[in-house]
This record gives sequence, C-alpha cells and structure tokens, in this order.
Amino acid sequence: MDFLKKLQNVDRRIIYLLFVLALAIPLIRPIGIPLQISPATRAVYNIIESLDPATDVVLLSFEYAPGSGIDIHAIPVTVVEHLMKRGLRWVGVSFSPEGPLMMNMIIDDLESRGYKYGEDFVNLGYMAGEENAIRLFSLDTSVFTTDSRGNSVASLPIMQGISTVKDFAFVHGFTSSDLGIAGWLRQAVDPLGIDYAVGVVTVSVPSATPYYNSGQLKGLLGGLRGAAEYELLIETPGLGASMMDAQSMGHLLILGFILLGNLSYLFGKKK
Amino acid sequence: MRKEVPLVITFVVAIIVMLSAITTGPIPGTSIAISDLFRQHISPWMTIVSAFAVGLASVNLLRVHTRAIARKRNDWIYSVILIVTLAIYAGFRTYVELNLSNATAAANYALIFNNILTPLSAAMWALLAFYVASASYRAFRARSAEATVLLISAIVVMLGAAPVGALIWSRFPDVQRWLLEVPNMTGQRGILIGAAIGGFVTSLRVLLGMERGHLGSAD
Repeated sequence: MDFLKKLQNVDRRIIYLLFVLALAIPLIRPIGIPLQISPATRAVYNIIESLDPATDVVLLSFEYAPGSGIDIHAIPVTVVEHLMKRGLRWVGVSFSPEGPLMMNMIIDDLESRGYKYGEDFVNLGYMAGEENAIRLFSLDTSVFTTDSRGNSVASLPIMQGISTVKDFAFVHGFTSSDLGIAGWLRQAVDPLGIDYAVGVVTVSVPSATPYYNSGQLKGLLGGLRGAAEYELLIETPGLGASMMDAQSMGHLLILGFILLGNLSYLFGKKK
Repeated sequence: MRKEVPLVITFVVAIIVMLSAITTGPIPGTSIAISDLFRQHISPWMTIVSAFAVGLASVNLLRVHTRAIARKRNDWIYSVILIVTLAIYAGFRTYVELNLSNATAAANYALIFNNILTPLSAAMWALLAFYVASASYRAFRARSAEATVLLISAIVVMLGAAPVGALIWSRFPDVQRWLLEVPNMTGQRGILIGAAIGGFVTSLRVLLGMERGHLGSAD
C-alpha cells in the first residue's frame, strides 16, 4: 500500500500550506458561523451591567505579554469597551512588566476618542514582586505614589476615596499565567472577599474552571472565543468575532489531520 | 554563621508573615499590630528584593553571553545582537522612567514595543499553531486504550470550543462543558490540593531549617 505509506509521510510543508489557507480564507471572506454564549462569559457581563457609574470604580489588572496578547488582548479591549459604554471609570494596574504597555494600547485608542486620562481611567503602572506586590497593593493602593505618566496618584480625581482594593466595586484580571488566577485568589480575593473575574489564554481555561465553579471567580473569559462572546453581548463586534470563523476552520482542519493520520496508521498497521 | 543567620532571618520573617494573616490587634504590651509590621516593613522589602532579582538575571545573562563572544562559540553573533538589544532597550526604558513627563520619549519607546516586540512575540506564539497542526497529523494516534480516550476527549473539546462544533451537533458545547467541569475539574482539584499540601510541607521544612538546599553548599 504505497498510498498509505505516502499518507503517513506527507511533507509538512503541505500541512502548513493547508493550514494557512484554512485560516486566511475565512479572514478574507467571513462565513458568519453563529456563536453560543457561555454562562461564564455572561456572568462577567451581568456584573458590569449591575454597577453604578455614579459611584463605582473598577480595577483592571493586566498580567500578560505581547506574545500571548494575540489570544488574550481582545478580552480587555471588549471589557473596557463595555465599561466606557456604561460610563464606568476604571483603574489599571500590572504585576507583570509588559502589562502597562499592553494597557497603553487600549488607552491610546480611548484618548483618541475623547475620554479623559485621570478622570475616566488611569494606568498606575507596574510593581515588581508578583504575589507579594498584589498583597501589598490590595491592602494599601497608595504604594503607587505616581502613575505611569509621573502624575501624583493622590491628586488624580479617579483615585479619590480609594485606599484599598476593597474600595473597587469589581476587579477584573487579564492573565496568561497562574499569577492572575491563583495569585490574585490567594492574596486578595479570598482574604479580602472581593468580586473578581478573569480573562485567560485559551490553554488556561481547564486550570481556571475549578475556581469559577467553586465561586471564587465570579466570571471567566477564555481566549479569543471568550472575547468574541463578550463582543456579541455588548453588540460591538471586534477582533475576537472577526477571528472566530478562522478558528473554526483551523479546528476542523486539525480534526481532519487527526482522523487522516489515524486512518493511515490503523490501515498501515493491519497490512 | 553563613547558614545560621539566613535560617534565623527566614524563620523570623516567615513567622511574621504567617501570623499577620491570622491575628488582629496589637502585639501585647506594644501598639504595633503584626499585620502592620508585615505591611509596612516585610512586604516592601520583598518587592525590593524581587526587583533586584530581575537585575541579577540581567547580569547573569550578560556574563553568559559576553563569555560566548570572548570564546567565539558557535553563533556568537547572536550573543552580540542580544547584548546590544538589551543595552538599547534597558537604556531607553531607564530614560523614560526617569523622565515620565516626557511624552515624546514615552511615545518613541511605545513605537519599539508596539511595532517590533509585539509582532515578533505574536509571530512566535502563532507558530505554535503550525506545530500543533503537524503534530496532530503525525503524533496524535490511537496507539492504546488510554491514548484513544485522550484522542476522543480532545476532539470533543476542540469541537465544543469552536463555533463550528455546534453546527455539526448542537450538544457539542454541552459535552465539552461537562468534560471541563467534571472529569477535568476533578483531576485539576486533586493536583491543586496535592501541590498545596506539598508546598505547605516544603515551606514548613524550610521555615524550621530542615531543608537547607537553598543556602548552597558549606564551601
């Protein structure tokens, strides 16, 4: 069976080419496959909908780098969009070095649309120390004396009345590591009893699910799919929704590869 | 003394950190609460030490790569590129941090980050998809009963996660959710609890001076 032998030794460049086509064609000509919204995504939406723009301030914690940003960056973009639509103010903080720069990408867009830095939102910057820094900031937000632009934090209108993490109405993390899940839960969420939800890279969804089901996480957004679901909820399609068709086709092609690889393996073995 | 002093420091600091989480009110005979002691003295020190650890890592990186250049090891030219990039990037960032009100410097730094580092990192991450595609064809095979269970679970989770799965069969997302919330969660919780107990026991051994590997050899 020469054909089976050939099938088992297909040139990997053919696989790569097929994969490029499967991803590129739906990006150029979207198919519009419908998307179901998961309860974990809806939970985040409901919390933000329940907040009061007149009194509530939200804390956003950015713990991811540009590499994983391709999977996760669409989540903070759409969550921030929801906050701005509702007129909610937010404070950004980071315990990973690249976090403030990822946050700035969102802030640049907001400023170009007329939102005011220091009043509608602020980027406090990065603090070293990972879990310990989360604990330190949670107990006393004044550990950041200046924000990422050198402004005195105490003088910013948005920071008035905030001294600990409990003064925020809701905390949402965006993370590509365990720091934003177990780190936040250990140092702030469980000891202080705050409402916390998190957006994670797709591969972290299985490890974050136990915390969502136990109620420690109030919501969970998983990768591009989570972002796409959220974009549909706030009726503002963006990066996540635009990539869903490509993701579907990519998954289907991988599935086809698995089946084909196994068929050639099984029949080859019998021979 | 080289071992005893670090052990005493470890013990005292660890006791303060542990007690700060479970005690309230001032220490008898004083006006200081243990939680304040942790917040005002121990915690800031931990942050400073962490920041120094990052600096130490950079020094180590420099040592390894300057040695590679000096000895003209294979691909030493990449070590030159790494050191030059490290120096420019670190130098530029230091300037930005010392002049936070200089918007032009911050914008130029963002240009490097947004237009060089971000696309390069994203490309590295995206390459994984091609390896997965190739591996799915060559390696993901039903060689045993366990591998077959893993294979079927992976197919269901993949179809449940992608929107196209619900088009093929409307229950795929439900089955995927069940797999994540029952078998996966059971396994994850077992691992988490086991790791937590292991971490606690190891911490206790370090705290009591029974585990001394982190102090290095006696020489």
